[in-house]
Amino acid sequence: MRRLASIFFLVIIMSAVMLSQINIQFEQYKLDNGLTVILREDHSAPVAAVVMMYHVGSKNEKPKRTGFAHLFEHMMFQGSEHVAKGDHFKMLQEVGAVINGSTNSDVTNYFEVVPSNCVELALYLESDRMGFLLQAMTQDKLDNQRDVVKNERRQRVDNVPYGTADEKIAKAMYPPTHPYSWPVVGYMEDLSAASLDDVKEFFRTYYAPNNAVLSIDGDINPGEIKSMIERYFGDIPRGKDFERPQAVPVSIPKDIQMTFEDQVQLPRLYISWHSPANFTREDAVLTVLADILSSGKSSRLYKSLVYEQQIAQSVFADAASQEIAGLFQIEVTAKPGRNLGEMKTAVDSIMHQALTNGVTQKEIDDAVTQMEARIVNRAQTKLGVANTLANYYCQTGDPNNINKQMEQYRGITPEEVLTVSKKYLTQPRMLLSIVPAGKTELAVGKGE
Amino acid sequence: MIFILSVCILMMTTVSYSGGSDVDRTKPPAPKPAPSVTLPEIQKVKLSNGLQVWLVEHHELPTVAFNLVIQAGSDHDPVAQPGLASMTADVLDEGTKTRTSLEISEAMSSIGASFGASSSWDGSFLTLNTLTKHLQKALEVYTDVLTNPVFPQKEFERLRKQRLTMLLQQRDQPVAIANNSYARILYGDAHPYGNNPSGSESSLKALNRDDLAKFYETYYRPNNSTLIVVGDVKMDQITSLLEKALEGWKSGEIPAMTIPDPKPVEKMRVYLIDKPGAPQSEIRVGYPALARSTPDYFPVTVMNRMLGGQFTSRINLNLREKHGYTYGATSMFRFQKGVGPFQAQGGIVTEKTDSAIAECMNEIRLMHDKGMTSDELDFVKKGLVGNFALSFETPSQIAGALQNIVLYGLPDDYYQHYLQNIENVSLDEANRAAQKYLDASHMDIVVVGDLSKIRSGIQALHLGDVILCDLDGKPLP
Repeated sequence: MRRLASIFFLVIIMSAVMLSQINIQFEQYKLDNGLTVILREDHSAPVAAVVMMYHVGSKNEKPKRTGFAHLFEHMMFQGSEHVAKGDHFKMLQEVGAVINGSTNSDVTNYFEVVPSNCVELALYLESDRMGFLLQAMTQDKLDNQRDVVKNERRQRVDNVPYGTADEKIAKAMYPPTHPYSWPVVGYMEDLSAASLDDVKEFFRTYYAPNNAVLSIDGDINPGEIKSMIERYFGDIPRGKDFERPQAVPVSIPKDIQMTFEDQVQLPRLYISWHSPANFTREDAVLTVLADILSSGKSSRLYKSLVYEQQIAQSVFADAASQEIAGLFQIEVTAKPGRNLGEMKTAVDSIMHQALTNGVTQKEIDDAVTQMEARIVNRAQTKLGVANTLANYYCQTGDPNNINKQMEQYRGITPEEVLTVSKKYLTQPRMLLSIVPAGKTELAVGKGE
Repeated sequence: MIFILSVCILMMTTVSYSGGSDVDRTKPPAPKPAPSVTLPEIQKVKLSNGLQVWLVEHHELPTVAFNLVIQAGSDHDPVAQPGLASMTADVLDEGTKTRTSLEISEAMSSIGASFGASSSWDGSFLTLNTLTKHLQKALEVYTDVLTNPVFPQKEFERLRKQRLTMLLQQRDQPVAIANNSYARILYGDAHPYGNNPSGSESSLKALNRDDLAKFYETYYRPNNSTLIVVGDVKMDQITSLLEKALEGWKSGEIPAMTIPDPKPVEKMRVYLIDKPGAPQSEIRVGYPALARSTPDYFPVTVMNRMLGGQFTSRINLNLREKHGYTYGATSMFRFQKGVGPFQAQGGIVTEKTDSAIAECMNEIRLMHDKGMTSDELDFVKKGLVGNFALSFETPSQIAGALQNIVLYGLPDDYYQHYLQNIENVSLDEANRAAQKYLDASHMDIVVVGDLSKIRSGIQALHLGDVILCDLDGKPLP
């Protein structure tokens, strides 16, 4: 009887946090040349999202060529043997497609969302630049896109307040040989140095079918699309194997404290710790902790610093995890008249409570419920689904992890949060102060 | 034999699958017949308090989205009180007769709902996105916030302080400086569109919570609002809940308000704002152009898409893909309830600021003088038609389409006729729109950048009088 009772109890507890699960049915196979294909039929709208993801990012770059993976992404839009410069965009815009590309430290992604009668056009263009890019590559194209990318860096980094903080953190937290020590967009001098030979070598190494996944979600006929894919991609030769950067343990021996001046009105403090890579249980636990710290008005850091004490303008905590490593970060912007020493003291006091007494099950359950809503919302668009499938394939080897996203958050207890937080957030950390020009007295270590 | 047979099968398989040689890559594949687009079916109910409820059922995912559209946005800010509409929206969810600020946010976050009030030039919005299984709980809080807000003094003070600090932070952001200054220069501070919808330091300091409560009392009324619902729900499920919850929310008389017509730009002037050390210059070119109600909406939309409204537009292909001056340059007509601006814009590398302005002005003049070609017209129209098929995929897209109809008083069958309206635009109409609405001599230019490096180059273009301004777009003495 007692045993039965306790089982019953367990069931009740589980149903209290029972989570809706998304269920995405898809088909996965490989062409002879190694190209992985993921197809999902979804006729809810006359739309198809075509995602071509290459498992290459800034972490595959060579020293002195930072930013190259992203610069290369731009070159992929400049035409190929059978597609004249400018025609890639033109052909797709003529059918009303929504298109773009993106690069991060781990993958490079290209997509076309098209009316479903134009899927073949997307396959034609993706296959032409996968198979026949170099035949159409010129120095002029490279020089033009190098200028565009430098402008992108200005637009997103250099002409933005606090814009260079992230690259300062990466540079200090990782040894110079670690591929996460440099920014995805790269340094100006490295962009200047990139040559046509670099473009060719990069293409031959990384832009092969066996390093890519083609993920399509939408109003498609699977039989028809499979034969199209075979026709357009089947003849592209397999590439050679190459060595991928591996996760190596990384740490800083003691606290790092740095101060930089910027054209800003308010000082901002960034606190960073090393944390686990993405798609791990520990990463999920720290993601929940980050939510408990700064998501919503009642979250611990926000409530204390912004809502009650009103000494900070904003505060964010984030478990920023990537394929082979992660950083747990807290970013806090001081209100006018406040200094970063005060911010550090206030953050430390909240963190001390969390690392001593832990968090509550209620806080964990709320954070997990919000996660669930985010996961469901991401499945709203065909592009969102095709992207997520491709990303899980590249970074975990199994696209079906899309249907197991909630599992990594299941059963997280206050004890587990405490154990994982202590393991990572009591390690040495970096304190980066960005202060208004001429006001270094506002930095951590000065005003306390 | 067996061996040979299997080779045969393999070869056949290869042939039937690969057939790589029969791919003709020299020309792109022709599209198949265009798919038909199923437009959302709008169900309408009027509640007994006068509130219109519009529902589109969408059962792909277990979620429901609500958007209450109130027909009063920052365009209703009195000239002396910029920031009133947006502050009202900000403080709306900070306390009701029975719930504190923290209780409201905790109630929503414990069910994973996203919720908030906001405003634009044209309206104010109370939005909710919830999993269907939490619908009842979410609606309970949502309707409480809508009908029983108390605008607590303490929360008002906190958010005003937050807002004042945010204005200070905008002074760091070249894009925000350019947008705010451009609006002030085009419209002046006697026109609502000339002010920062977030308010100014002095207007925020003069506001009090009673002003917000009064704005709410005046405009947040059932007969001045429409509730748009899209998602996994049926009409009778929500109407019974809403009738009861909104019982005490009554219609009222809504004061008439007309947005004044802005003064035209007499002749081109160049306004320069200094941002020492800036690696880029933010550029805005244009004038107060058209309201959403213009009969020329379709010709102008088609024409502008070629000028600067898509990646392969003339302006972007010139400034980005030909010259590498920028990461992206665009142009747009911002159709609003009142006369909104036309603006061509981009972030330009400091050293090429003058060349980029010259090229941009050339493109505007060329479109004005010569118009577009029939090939270009065909290209743009096809793109708009194809893009329409992508416009009703998600609940949030559908909700956005409905919001458009509600805000601008478009006919219910607006989207049924949309494609025909695009197809109907003739070359003559598009080019007449260019002549009528792209007169560069009556445009202003605003540039935010490092004046020590860009000023002489811009002056040498001789575009018009050069006026130096502060970070708010006010001329320096």
